Amino acid sequence: MTSIQSRLFVLCSLFVVATMGIGYLANQAFSDLRLRRMHMDISHDISYRLQDLGGIKPSSDEFRKLQGYRAQLWPPRRMEEFSNLLQSLSDGNSRLVKQRHIVVLKNELEFQRFTRQEMIHLEHQVLYFGSISALLLLVGTLSLYYFLRRSVVRPMHDLSRKMVDFLHDRYTYQFSVPAHDEIGQMQSTFNSLAQRVISNMEQLRTLDQAKSDFLSIASHELRTPLTSIKGSLSLMRSGVAGNLDPLAENLLGIAESETDRLIRLINDILDLAKIEARKLPLKREWTSLTDLIQVSLDSLQGLAQQANVKLELHDPAPIEAHIDRDRIQQVLTNFLSNAIKFSPAGAPVTVHCEVTPDNELRIEVRDQGQGISPEDQEMLFQKFRQVTSTKNPLVKGTGLGLAIAKGLVEEHGGLVGVRSVPGEGSVFFFTLVEWKYGRPGRMEVAA
Amino acid sequence: MHILLAEDDLHISVIAKLSLEKLGGFEVTVVHDGEQALAAALTEKFDLVLLDEMMPKMNGLRVCQEYKSQSAHPKPVIFLSAKSQESDLELFRMHGVGFIAKPFDPMLLAKQILDLLSLQGPKVV
Repeated sequence: MTSIQSRLFVLCSLFVVATMGIGYLANQAFSDLRLRRMHMDISHDISYRLQDLGGIKPSSDEFRKLQGYRAQLWPPRRMEEFSNLLQSLSDGNSRLVKQRHIVVLKNELEFQRFTRQEMIHLEHQVLYFGSISALLLLVGTLSLYYFLRRSVVRPMHDLSRKMVDFLHDRYTYQFSVPAHDEIGQMQSTFNSLAQRVISNMEQLRTLDQAKSDFLSIASHELRTPLTSIKGSLSLMRSGVAGNLDPLAENLLGIAESETDRLIRLINDILDLAKIEARKLPLKREWTSLTDLIQVSLDSLQGLAQQANVKLELHDPAPIEAHIDRDRIQQVLTNFLSNAIKFSPAGAPVTVHCEVTPDNELRIEVRDQGQGISPEDQEMLFQKFRQVTSTKNPLVKGTGLGLAIAKGLVEEHGGLVGVRSVPGEGSVFFFTLVEWKYGRPGRMEVAA
Repeated sequence: MHILLAEDDLHISVIAKLSLEKLGGFEVTVVHDGEQALAAALTEKFDLVLLDEMMPKMNGLRVCQEYKSQSAHPKPVIFLSAKSQESDLELFRMHGVGFIAKPFDPMLLAKQILDLLSLQGPKVV
């Protein structure tokens, strides 16, 4: 908007200068005409006097008078002629004077071509037209400038300000100019557009709210019966209702573990829904990542011992990261428990921390399991995709763990991925963007 | 210790009562809606009030607020809730001693209650 205004200003200034130029030229033309007329008058006067003189040498008074005209004559060519004329007069050669006089008069008539009245008329015309057209041009330019400023620049400025307001959620539908010209139409179109966008956004918000409400109701309605089922089962297994025979206890155990799985599944679905709705607030703080890995390894020792798998943290350099501790632990636990599930007995599961060329921190969980085929690798991080374990087909996950891990890591600004060669094990990794080397010494406490 | 348990779901109240009595050794009185809970808490003597958040007639938070404003010596309140949003949890911590997430584990319920009360410290008589 500023550039239009400034360009308009420059343009109008040029017009004003041009007007002044035209005025100047008109003035020049006018003075030229006036000089010519004066010259005409003087020539008349001279020829008149010369006729009077009739070849007699002029008196010194007359001579001075004639010389006085000389100064007023213009242009130079005629001054020269006049000087010659005077010269002949002073020589007293009257015949010559007469001849010259005739020559001069002839020249005058050729030169002028206009009568005196015509000359004066022309002068006035030049004066009128010149000054009136200059004045009109000046007024026209100025009014054009104000008109454009009022009906183009201002409304455009108004519109762009409204657009900025719209961007910053401060929008009102008021424009200072009523809508009947093209820009007014543009403004009212923008108003309708904004209205539509706002109502769409409101609709989306309502839908989003409905989704949240549904999730919270569903989670409550699903969890309530599960609480009763799970509670009854575990109370019965604890012997509160009398001792059980081993078969009954076994069956109750199955029912209880499947109930646990169902609860996990519901929790995972809710987690994922929150991640997808971007409603999972991260509580990020600088945390010792090395400690966190150690804690995750410790918490899975039981599972690892059952599967006869050894858990190791490779090269535990102290590292700190800006993360939500619980959420990154969730990711680590997911990777580690997967690795344990798919590892053959006696094989180690190791955690490595590496710095990538992009200066990101990469945390890798490596196993020596059966590996994953390239087709399976592609769909691993999708929802409800599972690779069955040949070693222990009874170990069942929810199929959401990796999808959740992916969501959590991406929420931290990092990436998840997998490298695997079938038959040689797999490496699951994730990257963290905000990290630094921690102070040494802290690690020894953790280890 | 005598506990007032307000829980609208019949099955869950049976399990919670059983768990608290058999495993925790507490005495438990069960009511099934918010109004009953408030009336019982104000008229009878309890050492602890365990309130489900979602109840008919009056929700747990309302009951807690009314109880605290009407009772001369309010006893500690613990909420039972399936809600997991941080803003809700903050409300529970603000109004009561704390909360126990649903689905709770009946094997741990008594211990969770004692843990929450010991966290509260000197406030508990």
